[in-house]
Parts: sequence; structure tokens; C-alpha cells
Amino acid sequence: MTSANYLILSSIIFSIGFLGIFINRKNIISILMSIELMLLATNINFVGFSNTLDDLFGQIFALFILVVAAAEAAVGLAILTIFFKKSGSISIDIINKLKG
Amino acid sequence: MTSTLFYIFSAITILSSFFVVFSSNPVHSVLFLIFSFFNVAVIFLLSDAEFLAMTLIIVYVGAVAVLFLFVVMMLNINEVLVKEGFLKYFPLGLLLMSIFLTELIIVFKDLELFSANNSGISISNLLNQGHENTKSIGLYLYTDFFIIFQISGYLLLVAMIGAIVLAHDNLLGLKSQSILKQKQVKKDDIIKLK
Repeated sequence: MTSANYLILSSIIFSIGFLGIFINRKNIISILMSIELMLLATNINFVGFSNTLDDLFGQIFALFILVVAAAEAAVGLAILTIFFKKSGSISIDIINKLKG
Repeated sequence: MTSTLFYIFSAITILSSFFVVFSSNPVHSVLFLIFSFFNVAVIFLLSDAEFLAMTLIIVYVGAVAVLFLFVVMMLNINEVLVKEGFLKYFPLGLLLMSIFLTELIIVFKDLELFSANNSGISISNLLNQGHENTKSIGLYLYTDFFIIFQISGYLLLVAMIGAIVLAHDNLLGLKSQSILKQKQVKKDDIIKLK
């Protein structure tokens, strides 16, 4: 596989995540899932470059992206559950009530 | 052989990521997210990143996706309401996505990349010395990248504390001892003589 294969695969997945953020306006969980897809695309990029350029640093950096993705998912879902408890909905339109 | 497998698994990944975005039931989209994580793990295996492939399955599928699944099942979401405004935003989103994707593919199509001489951590050198993938990641992660490793540990700790504090919102309803109130209680408040 050349690096173009990895790059095109990851840009397609990244664009699908981008589209998901655009069209799921009523559902914050779908937006969080789209962000996970975009982080996955960056991970594919890093591993692909690590493979094609014969450099281990890409894999080590992908590990740190994994850490950030896990932390983001945990905090985002905690905020989401408490917001659902207070307002009874997870729509984007009323998320401006998050302040209280 | 490897490139055929790569094409097959990347096609499955792209299809399942489409279903993540477009499926109307959030539970189905979480399950498709898990499926695409598995396929990307196979792609990592084909790219000789065995440790990262297994970590992806353990961390993403075992922790993050299951967390998503629990939250989706906990929140009672109305399916019809979720897809409201789908047609309103879909054309603009598709336009922006196709512009973005076309630009990226035009740039990446005939890209020639080369690594700088003797500057990176060469995987083939490490393999010749007898260090396999996991061992060589450990050799560099705990020595050269130790500070970043510790900072990422602190990041996880902060995220864990934040999630616990946020989710633990019944602090007001909790019965707790107030020493000030206990000191101010008078005898007449508690004991009544008849």
C-alpha cells in the first residue's frame, strides 16, 4: 500500500464524520460518534505514515490520540447525561440552556 | 494479497461509517461504530501495527463504544424527533463534504512522500535488532516520550474526576451532618414536656 491509499481512506472517513456533524442536528450522541469517526481517521493517517515512512513515532502518537478520544468521550457523555436529566431532550436547539 | 485485503476492509469501513451517520436508531449507529472500529483494527494489523490494533479493540470497543451504548440505552430518545431537520441540512452538508473530499483527493492522489534521512525511529532497524512492535513501542514510550506519557495519564485522571463530578449530581438531596446546625439546636426544639 502506498501512502495515498491511507490518505484517501482517512479523508473519506473524515468527510463522513464531517457530514454526520452537519446532518444530525437533533442528536448530540450522533455528533459525538461523528467526532469519534474523525479521530479514527486521524489515527489511520498516523499509522499509515508510520508504515510507509518506516518510522515508529506515528504509532506512538496514535496512542496519545486514543487517550484524548477516551477522555473526550467520557466527559462529553457525562455532560450529555446530566443535560438530559435537567432538560429531557438532547437537541442542539436547546443546548444554549447549558449555562443554567 | 495484503493490498486486496486492505481494499476489502477499507470498503467495509467506509460503508459502516456511512451507516453510523445515516441510521435512524442510535443503538444501530453505535453497533456500526463498533463494526468500523473492528475493521480499522484489521487495517492496522495489515500495516504492521499489532499493538495499536489490539489497543484500538480494547479501548474503543471495550470502553468508549460500550459507554456510548449505555448512554444511548439510558436516555429515552424519540426516533422521529431525532431525524427532524434531516432534509433541511442534508443538501448543504453533502455539498460541503463533496467539496472538501474532492480537494483532499486531488491533493493526495499523486503525493510523493519521503522520510528525512536518519532522523526518525526506524521500524526495520528495530526489527533487525529483534524488537517486535510492542517491545519497540515500550522502549520508546517509557524513555524518550516519558513526559508526554505522564501528561496523558494526568489527562485521563482529570477526565475521570470530571466525569464523576458531573454525573454525581444528587449532592443536594444527600443527607449529611451539619455541625453548625447541631450546635444551634435548643432543648425546646427536640424535647417537649406535656
